[in-house]
Amino acid sequence: MEQWVVVTIVITLYLALTLTIGLLAGRRQTDSVAGYVAADRSFGLLVMYFVTGASVFSAFAFLGGPGWAYSRGAAAFYILAYGALGMAPFYWIGPKVASLGRKHGFVTQAQLITGRFPSRNLSGLIALLSLIAFVPYVTLQMRGAGIVIEAVTDGNVPIWLGSAVAYGIVIAYVLSAGAMAVGWTNTFQGIFMVLIAWSLGLYLPHALYGGIGEMFTQIIAERPELLAPPGLTASGEPWSWGAYSTFILVSAVGLMMWPHLFMKAFTAKDDDTLRRTVILFPTFQLFLIPVFLIGFSGVLFPGSPPSSDFILPFMILETELPALVVGLFCAGALSASMSTGDALLHASASVVVEDGVQQFVDLNEHTQRRLMQGLVLLTGAIAYIFAQDPDSSLVLLLASAYGIIAQFAPPVVAALYWKRATTTGVIAGLIAGAATAFFFWQSPELKPFDMHEGIVGLMVHIPVLIGVSLATPPQSQLHLERFFD
Amino acid sequence: MSLKTARILAAAYHLLMLYFVTWPGILPFAKAEPLILGLPFTMAWIAGWIAGSVIVLTLLDRVEKRFRVVEGGDD
Repeated sequence: MEQWVVVTIVITLYLALTLTIGLLAGRRQTDSVAGYVAADRSFGLLVMYFVTGASVFSAFAFLGGPGWAYSRGAAAFYILAYGALGMAPFYWIGPKVASLGRKHGFVTQAQLITGRFPSRNLSGLIALLSLIAFVPYVTLQMRGAGIVIEAVTDGNVPIWLGSAVAYGIVIAYVLSAGAMAVGWTNTFQGIFMVLIAWSLGLYLPHALYGGIGEMFTQIIAERPELLAPPGLTASGEPWSWGAYSTFILVSAVGLMMWPHLFMKAFTAKDDDTLRRTVILFPTFQLFLIPVFLIGFSGVLFPGSPPSSDFILPFMILETELPALVVGLFCAGALSASMSTGDALLHASASVVVEDGVQQFVDLNEHTQRRLMQGLVLLTGAIAYIFAQDPDSSLVLLLASAYGIIAQFAPPVVAALYWKRATTTGVIAGLIAGAATAFFFWQSPELKPFDMHEGIVGLMVHIPVLIGVSLATPPQSQLHLERFFD
Repeated sequence: MSLKTARILAAAYHLLMLYFVTWPGILPFAKAEPLILGLPFTMAWIAGWIAGSVIVLTLLDRVEKRFRVVEGGDD
């Protein structure tokens, strides 16, 4: 039997198993909106840990990470640096958000913000910005799944077909079971990913160079510019410290503001589970080390993949491992893509219905659930169209989305900690910040010090939020008491 | 250790981490050699800060839990 046939069989079995777990999980939850969106607030530590880890580590980390290490060298270290920084504040914010969620029945981020700053338009604005940020993120995951499948089947299954099959399965279980399916499939996929990353990341440098230190010594001798921080740009020029530092900053600020991660605060069983998840999270971050090693092992390897995002499947195929092993590795990479994609699709539908549509039209629970399911399909379809663009870089797709998502941080912090903040101030800040980020994303040559557009956006956002809040009348004492104990 | 001190120390650790993994704090440590455990220096430097974060947050949680038991609530 040809190698690609064996690999395809392994991947098919893996996908079938994921689908089964996803569909079975759905039988354990109630048929309500709180059930679909927040899994009846029932996740324990094991599930929470892997849900969070697996939804953060996506095709971005598994394919884009090695791709950056391979083509841009030390620039990839920015991905390593931001996770722990971004997660730590959630140790305090998370339980606070969770307790407000239980008290007021919030299941989304916008409900929390508009609970403090009542405004239908603000809610709609958050839903819209979330959706804009979600589409490139889902696109990245689908393209990732397609890349893996195309590479391992020798092009017999092209990207358009591979991403359609993988995401057909994701959509099937997200539609049927919501948050519960996302939780259990991610636990399964998270364990799988960690095993694959470490075994391959340690194996490749040893097999090809005789050790990790050996590999880097050789890279330093032959390509010294690659490992000199902050690494290279896509065109091979030295990257700037301004960009490197603000990429870390914007990703750290934005990390927990992603609605699909923020909503985890509402799915946790209790505060201890939530805190424990935050504490353990950096251990997931260290899993990027073997992932980068996979990318670095390709630097001095003869031959090159069609684009740097293909480096992981390329290395797996070039090292002549048994077909069964190749199949398992690729299933690991697919897990990475699918475990984030499912969480994204689920969250974007929940957010658009709960925070967008529901604010303006009154729907019963059953219609809401149906509408969410329709939106899962629609978002999936839009992302699928974008995923066919051959020129997109996985890391850059996500980095752009972070520019928008980071703008949710000031409203959340203001809602939780600043009593003097007002609804008008928050809306003005959000519009100013998002517009600034969008402007500099469109005109990158105007960016001061090569800074990430999301950080420039925040530099406008925060003063506007504070200034307009102080210029408008404060919220009533009665309203504030409901929010601050 | 009081709850407040523990929280300030944990926050301070992460602020220091932010300073030392971005410009300008990273500059003295931005180099490929010497290799640490086989990894380029900057990569090992950042990984060290991440490992430190797990330890700091674990210690903080120990302190917090002692105080939560005393207060008897979950907030």
